Amino acid sequence: MSEVDHLLSKKVADRYLKREVLGEGTYGVVYKAIDTKTGQTVAIKKIRLGKQKEGVNFTALREIKLLKELKDPNIIELIDAFPHKGNLHLVFEFMETDLEAVIRDRNIVLSPADIKSYLQMTLKGLAFCHKKWVLHRDMKPNNLLIGPRGQLKLADFGLARIFGSPDRRFTHQVFARWYRAPELLFGAKAYGPAVDVWAAACIFAELLLRRPFLQGNSDIDQLGKIFAAFGTPKPSQWPDLQYLPDYVEYQYVTGQPLRQLFPMASDDALDLLLKMFMYDPKARISAQQALEHRYFSSGPPPTEPASLPRPPPKKESMNSKISDFNQREGPTVLSPPRKSRRVMPHREGFEGNAFQIDKVEDRANEIRPAPSERSEHVPMSIDFSVFGSRPPSRPTINSVDRSHLKRKLDLEFQLPEEE
Amino acid sequence: MASNFWTSSHYKQLLDQEEVDVVHPLDREKGINLEDFKLIKMHMANYIGKLAQNVKVRQRVVATAVTYMRRVYTKKSMTEYDPRVVAPTCLYLASKAEESTVQARVLVYYTRKLYSDEKYRYEIKDILEMEMKILEALNYYLVVFHPYRSLSQLLQDAGMNDTQICWGLVNDTYKMDLILIHPPHLIALACIYVASVLKDKENTAWFEELRVDMNVVSLQS
Repeated sequence: MSEVDHLLSKKVADRYLKREVLGEGTYGVVYKAIDTKTGQTVAIKKIRLGKQKEGVNFTALREIKLLKELKDPNIIELIDAFPHKGNLHLVFEFMETDLEAVIRDRNIVLSPADIKSYLQMTLKGLAFCHKKWVLHRDMKPNNLLIGPRGQLKLADFGLARIFGSPDRRFTHQVFARWYRAPELLFGAKAYGPAVDVWAAACIFAELLLRRPFLQGNSDIDQLGKIFAAFGTPKPSQWPDLQYLPDYVEYQYVTGQPLRQLFPMASDDALDLLLKMFMYDPKARISAQQALEHRYFSSGPPPTEPASLPRPPPKKESMNSKISDFNQREGPTVLSPPRKSRRVMPHREGFEGNAFQIDKVEDRANEIRPAPSERSEHVPMSIDFSVFGSRPPSRPTINSVDRSHLKRKLDLEFQLPEEE
Repeated sequence: MASNFWTSSHYKQLLDQEEVDVVHPLDREKGINLEDFKLIKMHMANYIGKLAQNVKVRQRVVATAVTYMRRVYTKKSMTEYDPRVVAPTCLYLASKAEESTVQARVLVYYTRKLYSDEKYRYEIKDILEMEMKILEALNYYLVVFHPYRSLSQLLQDAGMNDTQICWGLVNDTYKMDLILIHPPHLIALACIYVASVLKDKENTAWFEELRVDMNVVSLQS
């Protein structure tokens, strides 16, 4: 097949002009290129073939399979795919930045209209996926890419799946922990689009607070953080809870008034947020219903994407995977700047923050998990003094759960390549 | 699989019988006529089925694999794409696409077990190389719809309980190129029709109510 190989190498040289490397993704190098056919700037992901002799990476295959079927203004476009020198290359539209960079950039002020616009685009992309019976399963600001004209697009479908077949069991080890819905934390294996909506709610909250809302440092702690915010779910709120595989009883705590957690948000915003954060997945609002919520029809209207504030395009950190990669080194700035702390004085107890250790400790005692877990329980004060000086690093599927995921049938061949 | 068939790549890729029944010029040179072409594909579909029984995957993985194989040969020649490596590779790719991965070395092991013939001997690296070429031949479209889902719904609607015979008939349709030509629910309907004829069941009323093009049925026999 030398003829075929020849044609393909021509394609890279002829069609795509290779530019600088943008970074290292989960399964290969991402570089910038110019599509000479259209003049468009593109990002090319080179998929490394695994050392396991298992051909095209399973995660990459999932992404190809689904993105070929999902064409929407709010979903990243897979423009082309081609093999070159034995590696598979995926060509995506080029995106300038991602929502995480926007949220973390202290020079950016997000008006309520801006937040509405970002959330609307997120939900539109999500509603489209769900309409096509696809679960994203890795919603987080880092995977919401932002294009040159401010359009937000869902990216990274490496964990996405088609759902809708009755009685299919999925792994519950999906999503970065901070965005994981309570049913997943309790080990649910039959779940639906509501898991993506929960994650979208976390992103909504993060847009309002300008920091991750529920920063658990373990699965148990994550549930603790959720309950501390919204109260331990009562059976009336979530009748099926006790039947979930990993269900453990938590000591009852009352939640905080949402108004206190989000003092700056409008009533409509809070109402939508509450509906997206419903405990019972069956009662949780769908992405489509959320788009029809009065939050989006009441004033102020969402900002036009092109006028949204964005960080200045940087040399690096332009593609989803890259910022993720860079972040692993060095401390990340996750605690809010002093200024915003002054404006929102009631937000105590939700971050491992040195200034608030005492209060956090009190709360930690309340949300201590069931007795069976207690033996392994590390005194919270130690934990938090550590995190006080250095905020917990953002968990990703790749770093935290990889060893667990590896064991799942579901991702049999996705072995870590950085390790 | 759920998802919407009418907006899928599968629907957009449906072909006419005449388009499917084209023997590649390279193969024609070698003296392969349309009958041979159909027979080889049928044989390969059987081969995929046998392999699948050994590695134990679901029927829909088999169905997807056969569909991939048939789609490949609407574009590529058997001269360049040896069916004996295409068949296991399609099963390999389908197992990944349908989220029930089978390891390449397991497939290679069973191809050897099934066929001692030298001509069927392929190594893992051949399969992996072919995988890339098949992906390209398929233009990276991997989502395929099958009649199984509509079958159970339709049977329920018709109040029939001949699931087994219909299911078997649907499996048999993969011996032909029907999945490249007709929407899956029509194939399911045709199978139900054939089943009711076989069992002498009076279903005319129900079929009339559905008002679908029953011409498909004739292709079935």
